[in-house]
Amino acid sequence: MSESLNFLDPTVLAGLDNLELRARIVVEGFLSGLHKSPHRGFSVEFNDYRHYYPGDDMRHVDWKLYARSDKLYIKQYEDETNVRCVIVLDTSASMAYSSGGTSKLEYGITLASALAYFINRQRDAVGLITFDEKIHEYIPPKCRQPHLMQILRTLARVEAGTTTNTVKPLTDLAASLRKKSMVILITDMLDDEKKVIGTLQNLRAMGNDVLAFQIMDNAELNFPFNEASEFIDMESNESYITTPATIRKAYLKNLHEFLDYCKKQCQTSGVDYCLMNTADPLDEALSSYMSKRAKSF
Amino acid sequence: MVFLTPLFLLGLFAALIPIAIHLIRKEKPPKLMFSTIRFLKKTSKKLILFQQIQQWLLLLLRAAVIALLVVAFARPLFNLSVARLLDADPQSSVILLDMSMSMRYGDSFANAKEAVLDLLDNMTAGDEVALIGFSDSADLVRELNTDLGSMRTLVNGLDQAGYGATSYLPNLRLADQLLETSRYENRAVYLISDFQEIGMDNSDESWKLAPGVRFTGIDVGEQESSNLALTDVRSPEQLLEEAAEQVILARIRSTGTVFLQQGEVTLTVDGEIVDRKPVDLTDRSEEVVTFTTSFVTAGTHVGEVRISGDEFSVDNAFYFTVDVLPKIRVLLVNGEASDNWFDDEGHWFGLAVSSAAQSPFVLQTIAPADVSAAALNQSDVVVLLNVGGLSNAQAQALTDYVTAGGSVLFAPADKVDPAEFNQQFAAITPANLQRPDVLSRDDYLVIADFDSRHPILRPLSSDWVARFQGHWSIVPAAEAEILMQFDNSEAALVERTVGAGKSMLFASSMDLEWNNLPLQGLFLPFVHETLRHLVQPEYKQRAYQVGDSFSLDPTGTATSMEARDAAGVPIVFNNDGFVIKAATPGMITATADGLDTLYAVNILPSESNFTRAAVATLYDQIINPDTNPVQSSAVRTAQLIEELEQPQRLWWWLLSLVMLLVVAEVLVANRTYR
Repeated sequence: MSESLNFLDPTVLAGLDNLELRARIVVEGFLSGLHKSPHRGFSVEFNDYRHYYPGDDMRHVDWKLYARSDKLYIKQYEDETNVRCVIVLDTSASMAYSSGGTSKLEYGITLASALAYFINRQRDAVGLITFDEKIHEYIPPKCRQPHLMQILRTLARVEAGTTTNTVKPLTDLAASLRKKSMVILITDMLDDEKKVIGTLQNLRAMGNDVLAFQIMDNAELNFPFNEASEFIDMESNESYITTPATIRKAYLKNLHEFLDYCKKQCQTSGVDYCLMNTADPLDEALSSYMSKRAKSF
Repeated sequence: MVFLTPLFLLGLFAALIPIAIHLIRKEKPPKLMFSTIRFLKKTSKKLILFQQIQQWLLLLLRAAVIALLVVAFARPLFNLSVARLLDADPQSSVILLDMSMSMRYGDSFANAKEAVLDLLDNMTAGDEVALIGFSDSADLVRELNTDLGSMRTLVNGLDQAGYGATSYLPNLRLADQLLETSRYENRAVYLISDFQEIGMDNSDESWKLAPGVRFTGIDVGEQESSNLALTDVRSPEQLLEEAAEQVILARIRSTGTVFLQQGEVTLTVDGEIVDRKPVDLTDRSEEVVTFTTSFVTAGTHVGEVRISGDEFSVDNAFYFTVDVLPKIRVLLVNGEASDNWFDDEGHWFGLAVSSAAQSPFVLQTIAPADVSAAALNQSDVVVLLNVGGLSNAQAQALTDYVTAGGSVLFAPADKVDPAEFNQQFAAITPANLQRPDVLSRDDYLVIADFDSRHPILRPLSSDWVARFQGHWSIVPAAEAEILMQFDNSEAALVERTVGAGKSMLFASSMDLEWNNLPLQGLFLPFVHETLRHLVQPEYKQRAYQVGDSFSLDPTGTATSMEARDAAGVPIVFNNDGFVIKAATPGMITATADGLDTLYAVNILPSESNFTRAAVATLYDQIINPDTNPVQSSAVRTAQLIEELEQPQRLWWWLLSLVMLLVVAEVLVANRTYR
């Protein structure tokens, strides 16, 4: 996972700082510090300190601390977190596929880490769910720095699982969400896509903001094989002998039908959808996604 | 279809290798972990079927490539007869068919044709055969070929044998040479003949057929024969007018296995029977019949001696010609006449010309003063013996005479003035006189060299012992020909052609004044031959035998000629010299420049001899005891294969097809599981 952590380099994330995600957060008022939160009088449970930024309500300045340290700190309360973001990472066996470079799972972990880091830096709460046919890890969304580290350590331990059951974790998540949240699903969608997208639509209908990153390997997208081979399904272990050169067109046709279905269904139901190729750089993929997201507003 | 190297066909089992690999060692494709096969499984079933078809096509292509390569190396041929040639033992044979005159006897030739056809019937397709129809030489040659049908047609078209003599060895040599280029090692010579003994040539007993060549003699001669043959006829060739009666001899012999005792001989001259005489061979093996007849008129007379009394008429006639020549009129101009014969310049010449009982010459002697155009024109040749002091008119008359076709012989001696001679006869003399050269009493010249091929000197080739103490030193004219020379290298006899006439100059006298030539035995024939040469063209042979080649142009100067053979059939010449090869007996008539010339053609008497020899005799003589072939059978078979295969080249087309299949295999394999 050390390589994956490299994607957390600030230079990578600096690119995202300049993208339209920041504007979206402003509009939605999720990111505190950039402007005043539209939600007043929320929980008084102290959670953390943070530096004062111009525009912060002076009532929340800890004057005692100011007296001791001659610095302005704002008391931050748990309910003060504007966005609750849950990253749902698919760790099924199919995500372990790699045609030579980064596997989809590694790519997804890197993406999840970057998003968690980014969200956490925005003082938003971020949580994590990893699953295959069942939920393996669930970290509730929080915005504290140690929480981020917990997420990152959890991601570092992730290993590919077995079959995929995307519906169950999303259903469980929907049941547990008490506020409007942002759900970021990182998956290859190689499940029953109708049920998966149906669940996403339900989440969206509940007022949540849903982002779906579909991770695909370059070999899955282009099917560059020539020599006849016995293809073994990584989840079901089912095998299939064929000559790729013969069926390439048919495969790509089937694949594009699948991708187009996912894309259209997501778009029609308000789910942000982004197809990501593991061969593409992560920052470019995020930038591309943010650009698309910005246009949707 | 046959295969020249069928062992290669064992390689067809190699075509099973791709199938065996496909069925037994079906190689499993490499396993490839993939995220999902849901998109693969949804591919069309047609694609799967197409994929299977491709695999089977690939399998078939590979098997076909191997099979075609094997077939190409086996070298196939589209020819069933070739199979028989290779499996059987094909034969190259030469059939020698005797077409000599003796084969005309009875049914010999018909039997011979049947024998040839039987041989052809017993041959199989692919056998090659040559045919030589022969007598003393090969009259008909059909080289080795496998077209037996055309050979049958050729044999069926043969009408009858010829008239030539029999000679086996030259034709057996030819057969042997033909077999040198034969395709097959199994070689044979078939000789179909009546096996006359005279055909056996024992002159080259060392010659044998090539090793391995089989010989079979097929005797088709009649077991019994009866024949009366003219083995020899003697008749004059040239006669002079008013010649005495001539004797014609005919020698008759019974030459068959059955001895004939009685017969009759008839002499016919110019189509009229002159005489008939019986032949009685009761107590002798041959009889010579004598005819006596006269040939009165000048010109060519045609004679025929014919015998009767046997069944074989082909050799019963003998043809001949007799030329009756007019006497030569000789005008002798005596430049030193004398009552004393010893001093008479013309004495010795006159003796030589008119001393013979049947002299061919009519001599007229005149003095130089009597020379005139009228006198000259009544003679065939003029002889000037030591003549000097002729007037210019006489000289001109002589010049005109010679130019118009007359002939003159100069024999100058001491009476001749060289300057005057050279001036008066400049147009006709073959040499200019320089000076008389008379040697001392004890000195003399002899004839050191002469042209032995000249018609005058050809029969006078014996030593010239005459001594010459005096002679004229002469300078021959540019167009003159020197015929004799003294031992001092000066010319003694020169000849010149002037217009249509001839002139000769003898550089010494013709009496005893300057030499002793008149006392020599050569003097008379020398004079006769000289005069005859000056007047008459050289005698050309007019009697030939069947098989002789000769020119019908008697002078060698004819530009066109019409000729007919004995049957009256026009003769077509295919050469410039009007040369023909006599094929049938009888009289040939040749017409050139309006002048008819007759040639007599007779059969060879030896061919009438039906004495036969055993086939084994000839077999023992020519068969080669070394039966090992010169070339091994394998080599000959290889040559045969090479010849047969070359025009087809099926293996080339097969390899081309293999190349195409390999290309197709590459294309299909690139699209299919390998």
